[in-house]
Amino acid sequence: MNKEALTPESTAETREIVLAAREAGSRLLPAGRRTWPRAGGWTRDGGTPVSTSQLDTVHHYEPADLTLTAGAGIGLDRLARIVGPNRQWLPFDAPGSSAGTLGAAVASGTSGPLRTRYGATRDNVLGLEVVTGDGRTLRIGGRVVKNVAGYDLVRLFTGSRGSLGIITRVSVRLFPIPEADETLLFSGGPAEAVSMARTVCTSEVPVAAAELVEGEEVGADRAMVLAVRLLGGPREVEESRRRICAALGTDPWRALHDGESRRFHAARIGWEEGASVVARLAALPDRIDAALAAARACATRANGAQGSAAITADALQGLVRVRASLPDSDSTRLAETLATARRETEALGGSLTLSHAPPEVAARVGWTGSGPETAALTDRIKALFDPDSVLAPRCP
Amino acid sequence: MIPGRLTKELARICGRDHVIVDRDRLLVYESDALTAYRHRPGAVVLPRTTEEVRRTVQAVVRHGLPIVPRGAGTGLSGGAVALNGAVVIGTARMNRILAIDAPNRRAVLQPGVINAELSAAAAVHGLYYAPDPSSQTACTIGGNVAENSGGPHCLKYGVTSRYVTGLTVVLADGSVVKVGGHGREAPGYDLVGLFVGSEGCFGIATEIEVGLLPVPEGVRTLLGIFDRIEDSGRAVSDIISAGLLPAAMEIIDGPTIRAVEDSVFAAGYPTDAEAALVIEFDGLEAGLDHEAERATRFCFRAGAREVRSARDEEERLALWKGRKKAFGAMGRIAPDLLVQDATVPRTTLPAILKGISEIGNRYNLIVANVFHAGDGNLHPNILFDRRDLDELERVEHASKEIMQLCVDAGGTITGEHGVGLDKKHHMPLIYGPDELDTMWGIRRVFDPGAVMNPGKVLPEETEPSPANPRREPAPGELVGAPAPA
Ligand SMILES: Cc1cc2nc3c(=O)[nH]c(=O)nc-3n(C[C@H](O)[C@H](O)[C@H](O)COP(=O)(O)OP(=O)(O)OC[C@H]3O[C@@H](n4cnc5c(N)ncnc54)[C@H](O)[C@@H]3O)c2cc1C
Ligand SMILES: Cc1cc2nc3c(=O)[nH]c(=O)nc-3n(C[C@H](O)[C@H](O)[C@H](O)COP(=O)(O)OP(=O)(O)OC[C@H]3O[C@@H](n4cnc5c(N)ncnc54)[C@H](O)[C@@H]3O)c2cc1C
Repeated sequence: MNKEALTPESTAETREIVLAAREAGSRLLPAGRRTWPRAGGWTRDGGTPVSTSQLDTVHHYEPADLTLTAGAGIGLDRLARIVGPNRQWLPFDAPGSSAGTLGAAVASGTSGPLRTRYGATRDNVLGLEVVTGDGRTLRIGGRVVKNVAGYDLVRLFTGSRGSLGIITRVSVRLFPIPEADETLLFSGGPAEAVSMARTVCTSEVPVAAAELVEGEEVGADRAMVLAVRLLGGPREVEESRRRICAALGTDPWRALHDGESRRFHAARIGWEEGASVVARLAALPDRIDAALAAARACATRANGAQGSAAITADALQGLVRVRASLPDSDSTRLAETLATARRETEALGGSLTLSHAPPEVAARVGWTGSGPETAALTDRIKALFDPDSVLAPRCP
Repeated sequence: MIPGRLTKELARICGRDHVIVDRDRLLVYESDALTAYRHRPGAVVLPRTTEEVRRTVQAVVRHGLPIVPRGAGTGLSGGAVALNGAVVIGTARMNRILAIDAPNRRAVLQPGVINAELSAAAAVHGLYYAPDPSSQTACTIGGNVAENSGGPHCLKYGVTSRYVTGLTVVLADGSVVKVGGHGREAPGYDLVGLFVGSEGCFGIATEIEVGLLPVPEGVRTLLGIFDRIEDSGRAVSDIISAGLLPAAMEIIDGPTIRAVEDSVFAAGYPTDAEAALVIEFDGLEAGLDHEAERATRFCFRAGAREVRSARDEEERLALWKGRKKAFGAMGRIAPDLLVQDATVPRTTLPAILKGISEIGNRYNLIVANVFHAGDGNLHPNILFDRRDLDELERVEHASKEIMQLCVDAGGTITGEHGVGLDKKHHMPLIYGPDELDTMWGIRRVFDPGAVMNPGKVLPEETEPSPANPRREPAPGELVGAPAPA
């Protein structure tokens, strides 16, 4: 896993590496800063990591167009510092760390709680340059915000986790940083918090994000906290706050403004850090209570085994996450609970995937459940881009 | 004409009344809204269920004929045109909304549902479907999915692909595949995203799941009147760079204004103006006035002579009228209309608009612009009469030059209408051999026998064949598309 990475300094060099590996019949693992090495199971032991961390040039940035093109290896933190002075941002808030790279954010394809407001990662990637597993350099999409020329290969690569090609360059859409950023924290018991979340999610107020967090994580004395994020002009945000409070019939336990609000959410991005097991339970938003119950059972089991565990949920999207750290000896017991939780979520029409897991847990539970029956298509896509399986394996 | 045996077989599957082979009745299926391309289909079949589509596909394929999916035929790139006697599978009878799931803000529907009808049905729940092509009272959601359609309000809300969460698709081999689905984090490739925008070449969407949004509480609509079109382009750029995010920003140029005002659709725009800019903000009532005031100031600063604002729904519709009726009005002043659809970086709008007008003057043609300015999505429309052969030739030259101008500015050849038949020969302007080759490959992943809508999107001459197989990159070679990503 800790094998020394190759660090090409240009697209041409990246391509030479791929062609040489193909020739030699060896294996590569596309990577950024390698902060998520198991990539939800889209990885294998062995294989030389190829890190794009040296490809970090900003090739094009026209603030008035709200678009930026940069090397895949640019850190999201550095990107934020470049566009921030123009009051712009890239609202990618997938779990991870701000040190993660732009290319990896695209390759991972996961989105965070801001998805409802700004669209998913895939909606904001305009164009890519990639080196495919058979050593072609493709430039797909473009740098304009609306483009339907040809089949949408950009979406195919977004979320392909290094299995089709190495992303070397990325064009993204930026957004203006809203004038006002406010987070309202409402606390309550487990059932009460879910019911508050439901009220907020079905109200007419355009909330940017609504997350459920365990009270003790944010210093509240009730079991759960609902964090409602409001973004927009100051008048709009003020009116939204008034209406949310009216709908819930209570004032928030705490309200965080601007810098405080931003720091609160920045910290939440790293919520999974250090955990040995992280599971994501996805369900329809109105079944979030059932998904929460399944997640809570896992957490209780982990806690009972001298571990520590926590749960959080994105109420707007119906996504619950469980984070657990526990002694290795107990992980197999946790695996049973996870398997049960998967059955329960699938019965709701949802799914459970692991984002982090020690090999023995992953082997018992499986990174993903039984996926949709598209394996034939998926295999043909993989073979088109990476016929000799030089790169990361496709979805486990 | 298709073989009699096939006609009978299709009649058994879909019912006699729903298989059209009659020359007269086939006439309406000869083209889409881009009437320059006309080909009579071998037959038109109108199934009602996924199962009927599946059996229809199997029957047609068994007879070795190609298939063209068709929605309402409002496409502007010749996408639904049936080449080589292909069988059209129309979705006109697949027009049921299967479910509106209000608590989860989603709907499941058949592909033949008309865009505006979905929003109308969702309205009782306070919800609507955001992508709003200007053709929304006629076009189908299936067509929108195939074209990845946009619309005026996509500036703020994004295009079709953002709202499509799941699909049931019938492939050329007669298999039925379900991809995506709300409430699932489907592991694996984004096949929904890949299918959206595939222009009927990958398969037929027979069931579509989409996300809905709450109807915004308030709306403010402005109309800026400009003496120079470049100034209106600058106002758009300034508004966006100031961090304002209007729901829509649309420009109607002088020739279009005059066409509209001369027609039955007269909207009261001043005929001596060179541009009208419609700006709309939506959201909570609080704050809208403030945003509208700021946008008004940017218009004046960019040189607007007048900025009107709507006080009620009636006035709002009046301000929009010139924009909404532009295509209809143009149809009245020239027999033929070539609609282009390039997108350019927003900041290049003033220069590009000037360039387009120069090209029009040089070829002595009327070019009328009406477009989604906030997204930089241009629609330069060339008005002409195809019986005038000299003019027809000038139109072709001018059209090519306009396309090249937009590509050189970092733009693309189509922002929302799709490539279809019309723009496939322009694909090499933006993609190199490897990209085109890969697109052929992806098409074959879904449709190895090239049964679905053949002859669209990709230029034939780039098709890999046994004689000209998929090219292998030579070591040391670095070729990519001409334009950097
Ligand atoms: C604690 C933690 C939890 C995370 N949980 C999730 C999660 O649940 N879901 C999720 O999607 N992401 C998750 N991530 C990933 C995260 O969202 C970012 O993608 C990550 O931080 C990027 O950092 P990196 O540069 O170190 O990527 P890496 O760890 O180097 O790579 C991450 C993935 O992207 C691929 N990749 C990276 N760069 C390229 C490239 N240039 N071309 C092709 N493929 C590339 C890799 O093959 C790998 O699949 C998590 C990260 C951390 C640190
Ligand atoms: C006046 C006017 C204004 C317009 N304004 C806009 C606009 O603002 N924005 C915009 O984006 N477009 C606009 N259009 C273009 C057009 O309306 C859109 O492309 C629309 O999505 C086409 O839908 P349709 O049902 O008419 O499809 P058709 O024209 O019938 O077909 C279009 C393509 O979709 C394929 N297709 C149709 N149904 C399916 C299916 N179920 N499965 C797979 N493939 C299928 C067809 O094979 C064809 O390739 C406009 C057109 C007109 C005439």
